[in-house]
Amino acid sequence: MAVFVIENVEKTFKVGEVVERVLKGASLTLEQGQVTALVGTSGSGKSTLLTIAAGLQQATDGNVIFNGYNLKNMSHEQIRQVRAKEFGFIFQFAHLVPFLNVEEQLKLMLEVAESKMSNKEQQEEVDQMLELVGMTHRKEAYPPSLSGGEKQRIAIARALIHKPKVLFADEPTASLDSKRSQDVMALIRHLTKTLGVTTLMVTHDEEMLAFADRVVKMSDGVILQDE
Amino acid sequence: MHLAWKEIKRNKSKFLIVGAVIFLISFLTFMISGLANGLSQDNAALIKNLPDGTFYMTETAEETYTLSQINENLQKDILEDFEEAAALSIQMGFVNDGEEKQHSVAFVASTASDLFPNIEPGEIVLDESLQEDGLKVGDVLTNSQLDGEFTVKGFVEQAKFSHAPVAFIHPDNYKEMYRTDTMQLMFVQGEREEISGLQAFSTADFLNTIPSYSAEQLSLNMIIAFLFVISGMLIGIFFYMMNVQKFGLYGILKAIGLKTSALFKIMWTQMLAVTTIALVLAIMLSQGFQFIAPEGMPFHLPFDTSWKLSLVFLSIGFIGATLSGLQIRKIQPLQAIQQGEM
Repeated sequence: MAVFVIENVEKTFKVGEVVERVLKGASLTLEQGQVTALVGTSGSGKSTLLTIAAGLQQATDGNVIFNGYNLKNMSHEQIRQVRAKEFGFIFQFAHLVPFLNVEEQLKLMLEVAESKMSNKEQQEEVDQMLELVGMTHRKEAYPPSLSGGEKQRIAIARALIHKPKVLFADEPTASLDSKRSQDVMALIRHLTKTLGVTTLMVTHDEEMLAFADRVVKMSDGVILQDE
Repeated sequence: MHLAWKEIKRNKSKFLIVGAVIFLISFLTFMISGLANGLSQDNAALIKNLPDGTFYMTETAEETYTLSQINENLQKDILEDFEEAAALSIQMGFVNDGEEKQHSVAFVASTASDLFPNIEPGEIVLDESLQEDGLKVGDVLTNSQLDGEFTVKGFVEQAKFSHAPVAFIHPDNYKEMYRTDTMQLMFVQGEREEISGLQAFSTADFLNTIPSYSAEQLSLNMIIAFLFVISGMLIGIFFYMMNVQKFGLYGILKAIGLKTSALFKIMWTQMLAVTTIALVLAIMLSQGFQFIAPEGMPFHLPFDTSWKLSLVFLSIGFIGATLSGLQIRKIQPLQAIQQGEM
């Protein structure tokens, strides 16, 4: 089932007198429960496409349709609500809140998503998610005491705790070593399948493509190959 | 979730430093205010402690009370027309004690009134500060311009004028000492009313006719005003610096969907918490100082003044923090994501 449709998205940046076309009409349809990997050389426009799809910046032209709604026609507040409730984000760096412990990072996300769950239900949800990412033993820990892999696991848990429909992952393993990268990708794939999430991931690491259901190759602002 | 408190709890030293700076600035401002008030009291407690009312002096005196001479008939009419009124005169002078030690005083003579001590000719009532000079009830004092003597009848609190202790004397003694038949001023309680031939002054306006008072207060008030401006800027700069350091974090929180208003709430809560604690400590210390201030040091800081100053501080802090916090609205989540780990 198509959850997300990207149609002829264009993006241009004006730097002084120079107009740079980063995306030149990219189209993509994302299916539920699939991990889609966007690959391509640096400057191919893959990260720009992901951030436009995630509502973090606007396209110059084209449509981004989520659940039948075009993001182009939504207000900033409506897009924020979609980001908070329907999307999950994993960035290249974990970007955890430095003064919250592991458990609180997840509770914060539930609060941002305006979860209707009771405190008890929230606690159960947090415990369950920490178990899924194998971090129950570190739930009282603060970010400075976590390793890179642990931080990224918590970032994954935070991205999924509110049961988003779409997970956006921008180079989620770039700051990790090979072993940890494999672990994190296996986890993203496992959760995508378990929770029925639609995952769009940008990566430049070919080893990670083994965890994707579909690989979309981009070059010079257009989609070259979709397999 | 109380993000603001959680951050304060987790970064105690950072907030402690900001709080300490706010405490020091506010404490300095309270102390300067206490000294300004103290000097003001020392200069004009006699006038400031009177109830709301109006002072009158002759128009020809050109706002100099020592030149004012209210004729006896007019004085009599005013005292008859107004229930709560008194005629008074103030003159700087000296009294000599039994050991021929000279004490500088402000002689104040008034007609019978509840506002001033009730005194018979030959009696004198002094400001309590003269007790520290060894004067006591029953002592006999002299003045070179008076044939007779004064007997100390008692002491009163907070009766100072032009930095000198007040000596209340009977109008007959005053008239003899200063070779005059008239009093200088009329004081009428309550609403201001125009009296032909006399110029009316509110208490504040009358205080400003005392040259030493207005010059002194102007200087001190300018110091306090500058302290407020500088404090406001410092508080604003501190919160701006704190916000700048957190732009990355705010960007990420925005990216995951936190409302901008929630970020403002974090900033305001932290500003209010840190500033309030700092102000409470500054108030306690400055109020406590009143009890340990050296004898004779003019320091007067009513609690009322402290909390009003605190309100001004909180308002300045709030405006400063909000202005600096306006940057939060401009934060782009994308920039924060691309900037790397916080």
